[in-house]
Amino acid sequence: MSDQTQVRLLYRAGALGIAIFSLGPILYMALTAVSVRPDFLSPDAGFTVTAAHFVSVLRTTSLHFPEYLRNSLIVSGLSAAFCVAIASPAAYAITRLPLPGRILFLLCILAVSLFPPVSMVSYLFQVMGNLGWINTYPALVLPYIAWILPLSLWILTSYFAQVPADLDRAALIDGCSRLAILRKVIFPVAAPGIFSTALLAFIFAFNEFLFALMLTTDHAARTVPVGIALFEGLHGEIPWGVVMAASVLTTVPVVLLTLVFQRRIIQGLTRGAIKG
Amino acid sequence: MRLTFSAVSKTFLSLRGPVRAVRGVDLAVGEGEFFVLLGPSGCGKSTVLNLAAGLVKPNSGEIRLGGRVVASRDGKVFVSPKERNVAMVFQSYALYPHLTVFENIAFPLRVAGVTKDEIDKAVNQAAGMLGIGDIREARPAELSGGQRQRVAIARAIVRKPALFLLDEPLSNLDAGLRASTRSELKRLQRELGVTTVYVTHDQTEAMTLGDRIALLRDGRIVQTGTPEDLYERPETPFAASFIGQVPMNLVDASVREEGGDLYLRLGEARLLLPPGPAARVRSIGSAEILFGIRPEHIGIARGTAGSPATGTVTALENLGREVLLQVRVDSLPLSVLTNDKSIREGDTVALDIPLEAAHFYEEGVG
Repeated sequence: MSDQTQVRLLYRAGALGIAIFSLGPILYMALTAVSVRPDFLSPDAGFTVTAAHFVSVLRTTSLHFPEYLRNSLIVSGLSAAFCVAIASPAAYAITRLPLPGRILFLLCILAVSLFPPVSMVSYLFQVMGNLGWINTYPALVLPYIAWILPLSLWILTSYFAQVPADLDRAALIDGCSRLAILRKVIFPVAAPGIFSTALLAFIFAFNEFLFALMLTTDHAARTVPVGIALFEGLHGEIPWGVVMAASVLTTVPVVLLTLVFQRRIIQGLTRGAIKG
Repeated sequence: MRLTFSAVSKTFLSLRGPVRAVRGVDLAVGEGEFFVLLGPSGCGKSTVLNLAAGLVKPNSGEIRLGGRVVASRDGKVFVSPKERNVAMVFQSYALYPHLTVFENIAFPLRVAGVTKDEIDKAVNQAAGMLGIGDIREARPAELSGGQRQRVAIARAIVRKPALFLLDEPLSNLDAGLRASTRSELKRLQRELGVTTVYVTHDQTEAMTLGDRIALLRDGRIVQTGTPEDLYERPETPFAASFIGQVPMNLVDASVREEGGDLYLRLGEARLLLPPGPAARVRSIGSAEILFGIRPEHIGIARGTAGSPATGTVTALENLGREVLLQVRVDSLPLSVLTNDKSIREGDTVALDIPLEAAHFYEEGVG
């Protein structure tokens, strides 16, 4: 076997291994969701396809799945929107102002996000309780913004730093104010960065479990991850088929968002601003 | 519109301490003049341009544009670039990558809130002047360097600026394109009659484009004058060596007075100074001086017949029309430009050094 074939073989084996490792659980989830019995792998069970789990997730009002999904979309959407709205002018200022010790500043911001959420959750519970915000959207959106903002700022800073400063100068000369530059030049040029940051912030908030578990009490504000975890069958057993069907439905918006935004996350938009 | 700088200074702060980019610069650019800021990299010429544009605030001094004070630290005046009506072409072109050529050129007009019809008219006119009407829908990434350059110039002239600023606009073009764009820029500036400040480190560009040139070094203006002034009468050794296709020869020499006549000693050679140069040498008032002569002014012939200065050819560069020779006169190295292609390396040659065309400087003065 030549070296090249060996390398190619190893490469493919590695790729296959990673794919199975990452996608295996998802495949298992999807299969469980459409199987009549959750233990379809055991010899005496057998695999029969059914849509009953999906129907019951969407139709059973006591499960409140549609409400959980709505809460998740609203909370994650708001968190992502606020994060980008706050982080982008901040990142613009960090990349453009003559700030000595800029990296120190950025490291301090990063340090804020290093506190483990579990260390803050009891305190947060008290604050939200005193404010009377338990089981409302702000109780989740505010901590999510604080938690995701440092990361958003770091990503946007690296994107904005790639936009040549000559573009700012050109726009200043052409009569733009700093805010107009941000809106008319930086945003469009760094659009891939904005979209990936927004998407990442959305996914972070969408997947968050701990805060959502502690700060919500029912379907008025409870998000999908917590909702699914608290699904219970009639007799106290875990309804695996329904849980998996709900999980499949939950991945749909995230996958859709990724696919839609992927078309906008095109690199190379800055190519041509500077002599290439 | 006239542009004047009075004692303008700018210091940038960095972690390694303050950087004094511009130190007490005085400038006066006349109405419709093509003014060139020339100097080596790091001399502060781009900062001067940014000060004129309003991208940088001066630490001291005053800048006026058309009689109006646009920046003065003491008078607490600073007029933003937007209100100065200046246009600028950047070395990197700085085209907006997300906009088409048409939208790039239209950008300053859109920001100014000009009506659609007027924008169409102005953009088409500017694009027509630069011959880029056929690429209006292309994006910057699809354009060649020369085309990007033209778009950048079109964007600058489209709103009829009071002051036209160019920051090394030709340095990213290849040699052929650079020469043609150079003459086109000159023509365009004449046609528009707009006051222009042009920054470059290339003395050829400065000499061919400028009505007047300011030579900068370490944030200070070394000399201001017409291209002829700078070539014929460089006031310092730095100006002498910076201007000219082939740098001027600058060598140590000494002066002796013998019987009322002044003699210049170049190595072993002893040359009688004619009255004009003698008077200039006397005004320096030192026996040890720096002697400057341009390579194109030195005459050269093979052999040594009766010549006061002789030397050996140590290296030879064929420039096509001319040959550049390195000649060693005793221990002094001199460059000589000649049309005589029969001279070879190692030849002994006689040099004719016309002292009327020579320059004399005090030793040890930049």
